[in-house]
Amino acid sequence: MSALTDLIPAHRPSLAQSLFAGVVVPSLCAIGVGTLMQFGVGPVLGDYWTSVGVQVGIAVMLAVSLNIVNGFTGQFSIGHAGFFAIGAYIGAGVSYYGALLIWNDASAMAHGAPLVWNNSKSWLFGAGEWLMIGGAILGACVAAAFGYIVGLPSLRLRGDYLAIVTLGFGEIVRVLLQQTRPQVFDGAELREMSAGELVIPPLGGATGFSSIPKYANLWWVWLFVAVVVFFAYRVKVSSTGRALLSIREDEIAARAMGVNITKYKVRAFVLAAALAGIAGALYAHSGNVLQPRDAGFQRSFDCIIFVVLGGLGSISGAALAAVALSIMTEALRGPEPILENWIALLILTAVISIVAAILRAVGNRGWRITLLMAVTPLSILLLGLASKFFTDATGINLADYRMVVYALLLIVVMLVRPNGLFGLTEIWEYFGPERAKKPPTTPPTASQAAAAAPTEGSRP
Amino acid sequence: MSEFLLDVREIGISFGGLKACQQLTLQVPARGLHGLIGPNGAGKTTAFNLITGVYQTQTGSVSLDGVHVHHLAPHQIAKAGMSRTFQNIRLFGDLSVLDNVRLACHLRGTHTLIGTLFRTPMFVAQERAIRERALKMLDVFDLADLADEQARSLPYGNQRRLEICRALATEPKVLLLDEPAAGMNPSEKVALAATIRQIRDRFNLAILLIEHDMGLVMDICEHITVLDHGTPIAAGAPREVQNNPKVQEAYLGEPGAVL
Amino acid sequence: MADFLQILITAIAVGSLYALIALGYTMVYGILKFINFAHSDIFVLGAWTSLTASVCVITWLKLDTQQPPLWLAPVVLLCAMVVCGGVAFLVERLAYKPLRKSARLNVLITAIGVSLLLQNVGQLPGFTAAEKDGRSLATVPFGPSPSRMPSLLPDTSLISVPFPSGDPTIPAASVQVNLVDVFIFVSAMVLMFGLQHLVYRTKLGAAMRAVSFNTETASLMGVPVDRVMSFTFVTGAVLAAAAGFLYALKYPGLNQPAHEIWVLLGLKAFVAAVVGGIGNVRGAVLGGFLIALIEFMGMYLFSKYLDPLMGTNMGTNLRDVYVFSVLIVVLLVKPSGLLGTPVREKV
Repeated sequence: MSALTDLIPAHRPSLAQSLFAGVVVPSLCAIGVGTLMQFGVGPVLGDYWTSVGVQVGIAVMLAVSLNIVNGFTGQFSIGHAGFFAIGAYIGAGVSYYGALLIWNDASAMAHGAPLVWNNSKSWLFGAGEWLMIGGAILGACVAAAFGYIVGLPSLRLRGDYLAIVTLGFGEIVRVLLQQTRPQVFDGAELREMSAGELVIPPLGGATGFSSIPKYANLWWVWLFVAVVVFFAYRVKVSSTGRALLSIREDEIAARAMGVNITKYKVRAFVLAAALAGIAGALYAHSGNVLQPRDAGFQRSFDCIIFVVLGGLGSISGAALAAVALSIMTEALRGPEPILENWIALLILTAVISIVAAILRAVGNRGWRITLLMAVTPLSILLLGLASKFFTDATGINLADYRMVVYALLLIVVMLVRPNGLFGLTEIWEYFGPERAKKPPTTPPTASQAAAAAPTEGSRP
Repeated sequence: MSEFLLDVREIGISFGGLKACQQLTLQVPARGLHGLIGPNGAGKTTAFNLITGVYQTQTGSVSLDGVHVHHLAPHQIAKAGMSRTFQNIRLFGDLSVLDNVRLACHLRGTHTLIGTLFRTPMFVAQERAIRERALKMLDVFDLADLADEQARSLPYGNQRRLEICRALATEPKVLLLDEPAAGMNPSEKVALAATIRQIRDRFNLAILLIEHDMGLVMDICEHITVLDHGTPIAAGAPREVQNNPKVQEAYLGEPGAVL
Repeated sequence: MADFLQILITAIAVGSLYALIALGYTMVYGILKFINFAHSDIFVLGAWTSLTASVCVITWLKLDTQQPPLWLAPVVLLCAMVVCGGVAFLVERLAYKPLRKSARLNVLITAIGVSLLLQNVGQLPGFTAAEKDGRSLATVPFGPSPSRMPSLLPDTSLISVPFPSGDPTIPAASVQVNLVDVFIFVSAMVLMFGLQHLVYRTKLGAAMRAVSFNTETASLMGVPVDRVMSFTFVTGAVLAAAAGFLYALKYPGLNQPAHEIWVLLGLKAFVAAVVGGIGNVRGAVLGGFLIALIEFMGMYLFSKYLDPLMGTNMGTNLRDVYVFSVLIVVLLVKPSGLLGTPVREKV
C-alpha cells in the first residue's frame, strides 16, 4: 500500500480554491451572522435584550473555547477566566489608553462608527473600533502566551493536579490585577508618567477599570462568535482534533500511535486561551467595568458548567448551554423584561414545536432534539413567572439561588449523563441522513465475534 | 549496523525490588515472525512496554533499523517505525472506526495550527490523503462498512482487528502484537494465523508476537523466545524450544512432560 | 527580630490549621483517589457551625458574651464535628459513591458541583430566620452576611518576651505568645497524633491502608470497603471541622461561605497536601507547616525589603502568589510531592 506522503500531492487543491473555501466563505458567513444579529435580530429585541445578546455571545465564546481543553483534550482547566481577564485588561488598556494618547478622548462617541453612534463622522468603522480589534488581537496573543505557560505543567501533571494549577493561575492573575495602579483619566498625565511608574500598569487596581469605550455591539460580538465556532469546529474535524480527542480517550494508546501528547496538550491550551482572550477583549468593550474578580473562579465555574452541561466535546452543545443558561440567569435576575415579551416567547415555542412535528412527520430524524429546544423559551418564561411570584411573595430574589441550581445541575448531569447532554455529538448531526446501520447494542456473543474475526484471511 | 531490523539487547527494568524483566535479548530480521512466550506474569507485556518506550529501560539497548531508540519517547519510537496493539484492547472508544485509523495516519504528516484554522492547500491535501488511506486500510480489514460506527460499539473480534488495522496505519517497520488471539475460539485462531502471515507479506514488515496459545505460536513463528520470571530461559526455532526442559519446567512445573 | 518571631508564631498557628485541612484532602485522595474539592467547604461549614453553635448556646443559656465559660469551647467543637461529619457522610453516599467506577474527570466535576452547592446553600438568606416577638432566639447566624464569632477563649498572652530595640528613640518591641495560638497548635497536634495512631496502630487503620493500597484485593480479603471509605471521608471532615473551629477562634470575623477567602484557604491547604505528597499523612502535616511558613515569610520579607525598594505596598497582598509559585515549582521538580511516591499507570 502506498505511503501517506505519496498520496498527498494528488489531493492538493489550488491556492484560489482553498482561499475561497478556507477564508472567504467563512469570513462572509461571520459577517453575515454579525449583520443578521445587528440589523435583523437587534431591532426586534430592543435595548435590554440587545445587551443580553452581547453577553450571551461572550458566554458562547467562552464555552466553545474552554471546550477545546476540557471537552476535546480531556484536560481539566478551571482557570479559564484568567485568560479571559488577561484579554479583557489588555484589550481595554490598548483601546482606552490608545485613544487617550492619540485623541485625548476615550469616549465611544468620538471614534465609533454609525453602528455605535449615529452622529459619527466615519462611514464604516471608527478608528476607535479598529483600536479595539488591535487590542483584541494583542490580548489574544498575550493570553495565548500565558496558555503556553500554564499548558507546560500539564505535561507532567495528571488531571486533578492540573485543575489545581489552573485554578491557582486564575487566582494569581486576580491578585496581580488588584495590585495595579489607579486608572489615569487624563492624556497629559499619562504622557508625563515615567517608564518606571508604568512597570506596574495603571489598570485600576481593586476599584476596577472603567470608562472603556463601548464598541462591542451585536455585530462585533456575533461576528467573533462565528469566528470562534468556525475555528473550534475546524480543529475538531482535523488531524489536530483527532489527536486531542485521542489524548482524552487514552493517553497511552495515543502515544503508541505517534501522538506527541505534550505538543497537543499545550496546543489546546494556547488556542483555548487565545479565543478566551478575544472574548475578554470584547467583554471589556461591552459597557462593563472590569474588575479583578473577572479572573476569579466564579466565572471559570460558569464556563465549566456550560461545557459540562452542553457536552464535553460538542461545540454546538456547549454553545446552546451557554445561551440557555445565560438567558435563564437573566430570567431569574429581573423577570420583568421576560414577562413583557411573553407573546414572543410563546410564539417561539410554538414555531419550534411545529418544526419538530414536521421533522417527525417527514424524516423521523432530529425531532426530539428540536422539541427539546422548544422547551427552552417556554422554560425561560416559566422561570420568569416563578421568579416574579416568588419575589413578590417572599421578597427573596431567586437570582441568589442561581448557583445552587447550577451546582445541583452539575451533580445530576454527572450522575446521569457523564459526557454531558450531547457528548461528542454536534446538534446538526441529529438531523443528517440516517447512518448506514445501528451497531448491536447487546454485548457481542461468541458467535458474533467468530463471524466477524476470520474474514480477513479470505481476502486476496 | 545490525543485520536485524529490531535488535533488542539485554534490556531490563525493576519496579522496586521486583525484577519485572531482566537481560532480555532478541533479534528480529526483516520480514521475520518472532514469538515471545511465557507463563502468566513472566514479564512479556513489560518487555513490550520497554521496547515501545512506555517504560524506560534501565539497562541495554533497543535499536530499530540500525538506530538506537531506547532513549526516545513512545511517539518518537512510533515514528521511527514501531507499532503495537494492546493486550486489553485500547481503542479510542468515543471516536468512529474511521477516526481511529485516521488518527494513526497522523504521524506521517505535519500538522500546524495555522493550517488547521485556515485550511491551507497543504492541510486540505493531507486531510484528503489521510482519509483515502484510512478507508483503504479499513477495506483491507473488511471494516469499511463500519467506518462511521463508534469504535466502542463494535463486537469484540472487530475491535481486535481494528486495533491491528490502526497499528498498521502508522506505516510501521515492526509490528508488536500483544496476545492477538486472546478470547478467540480455535477456528478463529486458525484464521488469525493466516491473517498474521498475510499482514507480514502484504505490508512487508517484521512481527513480534506475544501469545499464550502454543499451537498458534508454534504454527506461525520462525523463532521463539521464552520468558519466565522476567528472564529469558530459552530461544530458538519452535521445535527446539518445545523440547527444551527448562521451558517444560516453566510451563508444567516438572521436566519431561509433553507440551 | 521581634516582628520576625511574632510572624513565625502566627505561621506555626496557621500552619497547624493548614495541616489539619490537608490531612482530610490527603486521606480522601489516598483512599478514594480523587481530589475532594468540597473539603474546603466542609472546613467553612465547621467555622460557621462553630459560630452558630456558640451564639445559640450563649443566647439560650444567657451566658456572659464577653467572658463565656471555658466549657463552651469543647461543646462548640463537638457540635461542629458532628454537623460536618454528618454532612460529609451524606455527600459521600449521595454524590460520590454512585460514581466510584466512573472516570476521574466525572468525579472531579461532581466534587466541584458539591463544593459550589455547599458554598451557595450556606449563603442562602433562608437560614437567617426572622426575629420573633422581639426575641432573638430564632436567629441562626449563618448565611449571606459576614458575622463575628464570640471569643470563647480569654484574650491573654501566655508569654511575652521583650526585645530592646537598641535605639532609645524606638520603644522596645515584645514577642507575644497568645493563648489562642498555643491552643490551636496543641489541639492540632493532639488531633494529628490521634490520626497517626488511628492509621498506623489500629485495625481500622490497617483496613484503611489496605483499601488505599488496592481496593479490590482489600475487598477480597474481607475488608468492608464501602464502610472504610465512608469512615475515612467522615474522619477527614471531622478534622476539617476542628480546623474550622480553630480558625474561627483565631480570626473571629467570618466571611460569607462563598467568599473567595475561604476558597483560597482551602486551596492553600490543598497545596500543602500536594507539596507534602498527596496520599501521605506525614507529608500533609509537613506541607501544612511549610506552606504557612512560606506564605508568612514571603509576606514579611517582601514588605520589609522589596516594597521600600519598589515604592509599593503589596507584600501582604501577594501572599497567595508565593504559595502557588511554590506549588508549581514543587510539581515541576517532584510531581509526586516531597514525601510522595510516584505512581505508574498500568498498561
